[in-house]
Amino acid sequence: MKIIIVGAGEVGYHIANRMSFENKDVVVIDRDPDAIRRLADNVDVEAVNGSGSSPRVLKEAGLKEAEILLAVTDSDETNLVACLMADMISPTTKKLARIREGDFDAYHKMLHDQSPHIDTVINPEIEVVKSIERFLSIPGAVDVSDFADGMLRFVGLYLDEGSRLAGIRLKEIPEKIGQRILVAAVVRKEELIIPGGDARLYAGDLVYFISEEKGLVSILEAFDRSSRPVRRVMIVGGGRIGTRLAEAVEKKGIKTKIIERSAQRCSELAARMKKAVVIQGDGSDQRLLMEENIREMDAVITLTNDEETNILVSLLSRRMGAEKAITKLNKFSYFPLMPAIGIEQVVSPRLSAINTILQHIRRGKVLSVRTLTDEQAEVMEAEALETSDIVGKPLKKSSLPKGSLIIGIIREGLVLIPSGDSVIEPGDRIIIFAKRQVVAKIEKILTVKLEFF
Amino acid sequence: MKWGFVFRYVGILVFFLGLTMLLPAGVGLFYGDSSLRPLAWSAAAAILCGGAPLAVFGREKKDYISQREAMAIVAISWTAIGLFGALPFHLSGIFPTFADAFFESVSGFTTTGASVLTEIESKARGLLFWRSFIQWLGGMGIIVLTIAILPFLGVGGFQLYKAEVPSPVPDKLKPRIRDTAKALWKVYVLFSLAEVLLLLIGGMSLYDSLCHTFTTMPTGGYSTKNLSIAHFDSLYFDVVIMVFMMLAGINFSLHFRMLQAKPLSYWRNPECRFFLVTLAILICAVSASLFGTVYDTAGESLRYGAFQVISILTTTGYATADYNQWPAVAQLIILMCMFVGGSAGSTAGGMKIMRVIVTLKFCYKELFNLLHPHSVTHVKIGGRPVPDTVINGVLGFMALYIGIFVLCSVLLAAMGVDFVTSFSAVAASIGNIGPGLATVGPVGNYSDIPYFGKWLLSWLMLMGRLEIYTVIIFLVPEFWRK
Repeated sequence: MKIIIVGAGEVGYHIANRMSFENKDVVVIDRDPDAIRRLADNVDVEAVNGSGSSPRVLKEAGLKEAEILLAVTDSDETNLVACLMADMISPTTKKLARIREGDFDAYHKMLHDQSPHIDTVINPEIEVVKSIERFLSIPGAVDVSDFADGMLRFVGLYLDEGSRLAGIRLKEIPEKIGQRILVAAVVRKEELIIPGGDARLYAGDLVYFISEEKGLVSILEAFDRSSRPVRRVMIVGGGRIGTRLAEAVEKKGIKTKIIERSAQRCSELAARMKKAVVIQGDGSDQRLLMEENIREMDAVITLTNDEETNILVSLLSRRMGAEKAITKLNKFSYFPLMPAIGIEQVVSPRLSAINTILQHIRRGKVLSVRTLTDEQAEVMEAEALETSDIVGKPLKKSSLPKGSLIIGIIREGLVLIPSGDSVIEPGDRIIIFAKRQVVAKIEKILTVKLEFF
Repeated sequence: MKWGFVFRYVGILVFFLGLTMLLPAGVGLFYGDSSLRPLAWSAAAAILCGGAPLAVFGREKKDYISQREAMAIVAISWTAIGLFGALPFHLSGIFPTFADAFFESVSGFTTTGASVLTEIESKARGLLFWRSFIQWLGGMGIIVLTIAILPFLGVGGFQLYKAEVPSPVPDKLKPRIRDTAKALWKVYVLFSLAEVLLLLIGGMSLYDSLCHTFTTMPTGGYSTKNLSIAHFDSLYFDVVIMVFMMLAGINFSLHFRMLQAKPLSYWRNPECRFFLVTLAILICAVSASLFGTVYDTAGESLRYGAFQVISILTTTGYATADYNQWPAVAQLIILMCMFVGGSAGSTAGGMKIMRVIVTLKFCYKELFNLLHPHSVTHVKIGGRPVPDTVINGVLGFMALYIGIFVLCSVLLAAMGVDFVTSFSAVAASIGNIGPGLATVGPVGNYSDIPYFGKWLLSWLMLMGRLEIYTVIIFLVPEFWRK
């Protein structure tokens, strides 16, 4: 499978890295020779220096044999033109463009349906707003994703010191809290473990589990997380994501404050918002935060364009008494540091973009893909095809590779939490948790029967 | 730096080398000669010694190899391969010291073709087969080969590839390094098959055709005959071998493009064009100087002149004539060829034509800038500007190459070797050519070089094959700092 990626920025680089890890042929095009060199030195892909919207460069990169073209440069226009040219050269290639400008929002569906040259438009910012909303709805979660149209939620939580669940075995959990939880993975000292029934949970573990929407509240209680609804929110940074988020939470009747530095942007925001309070000022100004009653806030969300400011403002507001802080972060190299400095809830437009893109790249009938924050594992929702090797026999006898786990089955609109005896039937939607190393194998399993393992 | 990880890789390669020894052992078995035992024992030793680090460090896994580790892996592997490759020679007792066996083995793997064997034809056939076969393995690169056939080496493969492939800017023919390595080896094997076939048609025995192909394609130069190619004294063989030496001296990515039905890529490539034109000019010059002085007919001058120029410029080192008897101008042209070498990305050695072109163009640019101090100029190759980092790398390489050449010539002369022999032996070793001038000329050999001189030249051959940096980096204190 050959993939051409236009743009070797953070998203392009990471997708290229992931795909080459999974033994796919990747060609990356970028105009910046330094970015190309950085990529060529570190990742096993072909790196082409040139403009990604140039038909000559696209042809040179071997577009005709490519299955997928991803246009993920910083410029929406370049991405659009790259897809347009690609369509002329090779109409069969699937084309994805990242488009971030809000003015295009209303046209995503049209671009998708009507213009032949783009198969999918990706706007990571919409995804980011959705994940912030999910964070707001589940207190304490550091990772939340929805599957099966929201019927199932995949949640990552830190197990606090002195929690009821600390130190007990997984198989003892039901008698302790009167409910079954399917724990998919535990991250302990930066290492991801898929625990068996005899494994114990310890305080400080990051526990990933899957739960039905309706059972979530009681599970959260077991983790000693109260589910008090969010009533007051402060958003720092009134850019595109900030505006989108403010509009969304406003509708839910949550009291919203937006802090934005630029006076002009503030006046635009004020005109656009119905109830939200727009405050002009610097989000890292302690006096301002105090004045705006930060300690009464249920959540502070930092969304400025500056990574470091976001981190500092989040730390500052937690210190000043805000209930929780959600931080927007783009640089992947910062992610591993975040738990250590006490920032737990992180959203990343780039990670969202990658999730969406992966969903389109994955073979078989993959409906959605979520990457865990540190990229050690993936959760996929897929349709079980009749030809697939996992269909028609109990899970404990199926040929799933080590490091992967079926964590949910949806049959005719009903959710089943699987055990070793569950049998997957053709047409079921399944949710699979897989470590990064085995994703390629899972992909094969989802498409056809395996003969070589 | 994880040494366990490095040794695991080296172990894999040594293990693999042990497996390849079974082939010449089979040849020895077929002819029923004395080479079977030393080859079988060496194979067993390599498989055991290579397997040991695998067993000990087998769990050391990483999904990333640093530049430093890649260089260490390549340099240590080549040294280890030289050592284990020398075992069959040593065990068979045809050499007086281990230094001789090691010299012969390293000279083989680095495709130099400098020999310390005085009498070749009487030696066991299995052993001579191994001597040729190691050149073939070393030519395209034993690490490139393992990348191509062992899937688990894919991780960090590009770092290893860069450290082994002789080129300032390695080409990637396919998006993934493993496919690139496979493509290169496919071309290599295909050309080798073609040569074997052509030699067979000319009436050479299968054994000799294989052995000579194994040393032509990697521009090695070992022969199973005392007189090298002159033994056959056939115009047909001379021409076939000349053609394949030339092909081996051209960048293999161009061959790959040619096989994709783009034959014009040879001429479109500036380096290849420069190579062919230089070759034509030098052949004319050498042949002209031979005409009337050494040979009486123009045809003979052209035949022997062309063969020797191609053989030395592509760093093969076969001989059909003793150029020690030629006029000084012809000898000096041949000496010059030793420095230039073949194309980047070919199996040839030397400084590489690409580097010579870049240096010449850079010199011209400097002169031009003196006349037009405000002009903005780039060094361009094939119409594209060469990045400054590449130019700096090339100039640094040239300076190191010349520096090492001078220093080692002095060292060799200090061991009591005469003037012409010492500098031509050093030039022929670092350039991976084989024969030099005077004592080490095409009819002579390296057996008279002093004991320590052989170690020095072995080391130079490794440096030449791995393009200096990979080997010399160990001497830089910074390498050992954490």
